[in-house]
Amino acid sequence: MPVAARPLPPLARACLLVLGGMLAVVWLGPWLLGLPDPHRPEWTALSQAPSAAHWFGTDAIGRDVLARVLAGGRLSLGIGILASAVALVLGLGYGALAGYLGGRWERAMVRALDVLSALPFLLLVILLLTLFERSLWLLLLAIGGYVWIDLARVVRAEAARLREAPFVLAARAAGATTAQVLRWHLLPNLLPIALVYLGLILPQVILVESFLGFLGLGVDEPASSWGTLLAEGAQELDHAPWTLLFPALFLSLTLGAFQFLGDGLRDWLDVRGDSGRAPAAAAPAVAP
Amino acid sequence: MSALLAVEGLCIDGPAGRLVGPLDLRLAAGECVALVGESGSGKSLSTLALLDLLPPGLSAGGTLSVQGRALPLGGPAHAALRGRCIGWVPQDPLAALHPLRRVGVQVAETLQVVAGLDRRAARRRVLDLFDEVHLPDAAAMARRHPHELSGGQRQRVLVALALAAGPSLLLADEPTSALDPALAEEVLDLLGRLRAGRGLGLLLVSHDLGQVARHADRVMVLREGDVVEAGTTGELLAAPQHPYSRRLVEAARPPAHQPGLDGGEAGLRVDGLSVRYRGAAQPAVHGVDFAVPRGQCLAVLGASGSGKSTIARAVLGLVPGVVGGRIDILGQDLLALPPKRRRALGRDIGAVFQDPFASLDPRMRVADIVAEPLRIHGIGTPAERRARALELLASVGVDPASADRYPHAFSGGQRQRIAIARAMACGPKLLVCDEAVSALDAEHRNAVLALLGRLKREHGLAMVFITHDHDAAAALGDAVLRLDAGRAVPA
Repeated sequence: MPVAARPLPPLARACLLVLGGMLAVVWLGPWLLGLPDPHRPEWTALSQAPSAAHWFGTDAIGRDVLARVLAGGRLSLGIGILASAVALVLGLGYGALAGYLGGRWERAMVRALDVLSALPFLLLVILLLTLFERSLWLLLLAIGGYVWIDLARVVRAEAARLREAPFVLAARAAGATTAQVLRWHLLPNLLPIALVYLGLILPQVILVESFLGFLGLGVDEPASSWGTLLAEGAQELDHAPWTLLFPALFLSLTLGAFQFLGDGLRDWLDVRGDSGRAPAAAAPAVAP
Repeated sequence: MSALLAVEGLCIDGPAGRLVGPLDLRLAAGECVALVGESGSGKSLSTLALLDLLPPGLSAGGTLSVQGRALPLGGPAHAALRGRCIGWVPQDPLAALHPLRRVGVQVAETLQVVAGLDRRAARRRVLDLFDEVHLPDAAAMARRHPHELSGGQRQRVLVALALAAGPSLLLADEPTSALDPALAEEVLDLLGRLRAGRGLGLLLVSHDLGQVARHADRVMVLREGDVVEAGTTGELLAAPQHPYSRRLVEAARPPAHQPGLDGGEAGLRVDGLSVRYRGAAQPAVHGVDFAVPRGQCLAVLGASGSGKSTIARAVLGLVPGVVGGRIDILGQDLLALPPKRRRALGRDIGAVFQDPFASLDPRMRVADIVAEPLRIHGIGTPAERRARALELLASVGVDPASADRYPHAFSGGQRQRIAIARAMACGPKLLVCDEAVSALDAEHRNAVLALLGRLKREHGLAMVFITHDHDAAAALGDAVLRLDAGRAVPA
């Protein structure tokens, strides 16, 4: 395979395990542990500290914090993954096209990116969510639209390099259309870079969603994400700190794991150099 | 002659075992010894060991005597010889110079650190050194940055740098592989004059036996870390004893001429071609005319920057700059063709480029790469295209059984054959080769030239063969077009 056969660095592997565990716990946990409905208040157990009955305690209206953290995780991770997919499609398509077309088109498309990134996007997202009726889809679109710009930039730079690659020139000389070159050569070669970059975008998406949730602009009650849980927990910090502590712990663990995984993947795939050439050039120096 | 440098039992060991040696080497004052061998034979490692600059993980053993003083290789006293006794001329002059500092300052720094001169004396000495290596207008040259110099000038700066602390011995590791043949010869002549003038010993690492024949007194042939043969240049090259040296010498002979076919119909005709890239002051190509009938090859010769590759790209319709003049391919005016007809013409045009590593998409299987032009034009079913790809691979001498492997599993010569198979997929009538053999070693070069000659005759190809290699041009070209600064010049 063109991708290096080296093993993934241990730290990245550990992060992968943490994230896999997180996904499993968040989706399967409630069913495996037989947790109560995260939205159903239990009026006899208000603001209880962690105990055998409620591992993470209960909140001000007696909802089980563990069940709520897992439900929040489903939403936060789900939004993260979907919004990243939006960013991937937008960024990869736009970046590949801009880089491949070159010349006037490229300049215009890059300028458009500059304009977009000069806008205070978070403010726009907040405005959008305030003006229109809030829905999960609007939230997805807003966040995806916010994080795709950097991805498009990274992809564009690489696509501009590939545009001059002899295998692309040979395809053009043989009469390939722009669509054929993009589909056969550009996208397969750009995808690994975009995926690695996605590892860096995903935590950003989760963070933005949490931030919006914290501001009260996220998903509506009774649904909750880690962000809205943090907002609730912050209000009860003085008498029920566990309602803040546990969502914060899950969020930090996830973000940290993504961050280290992204770094590890970038080194592992050696995204800058093309994988075909690097080993061949290095070989004489190491093993004559 | 007393030995300037004597190395006994030089061994280089890596984690996986012995890489080089044991080998012995003696070098007298004013003498030039050449190390030859294919890439990976341990030539460069040996020079690095002599400089105590081996990459981490490798260790050297043996003794080194410089001017009668013996010391262990890689010992504490060894590093002190660097620069003072042993100067080093590296391979890639652009990578060896600091890009942001003036070249004069870089040489002066060595003089200050190694030779202990003060700043003013060092500056003055730099000018002397630049004169000695024949850099024109030394004072102005010293104030330039590396990117403002030509490749030949950069290599001269590196020679000056190597000479700065007055070594008695120079190690030159492929000092001219980044240069055109003419410039390469000038740099080697310069090293020869320094040898005579300063009584320098020169250890020259090279893969170019022609170069070695002209400049070296003695030759050592390395293969997989062992010396297989050593002797005086004349004797060894005239009558190599070891089969491996015989193969090297054989491959270095000018390749056999590949005659074309006469009386073919018109293939490619170019009239008054001019190309100016956007934002460039000078046109890259200026009023060039040529015609190539089918079955014949036009060799386009010129130094780098002479506009050769621009011509290739213009003929392939890949130039983004302004194009003037007329390009007729098989009777069709390329520049006037609507895009759709231009793409259809792609069936009749094949292209082969220089870099065999970048020529093939690293994420495609070889069979898919070769079949790509068929797929572009929607010819055949996937099964038919695959069958044709296997046939093409066999016809260029690549084992069809390896059709499902990725390009990185192939050597440079094989990759270039795969690129040729791809170019031939639709049965083109015009083949444009841009430096198609320049990145290959002599043995592979000759084989690929023979392959191209056969294709030229068998398929009646009109061929444009762009190169800076005179031997290759003579072998394949039925006519020659010489370019200088974008204009055709008489041969």
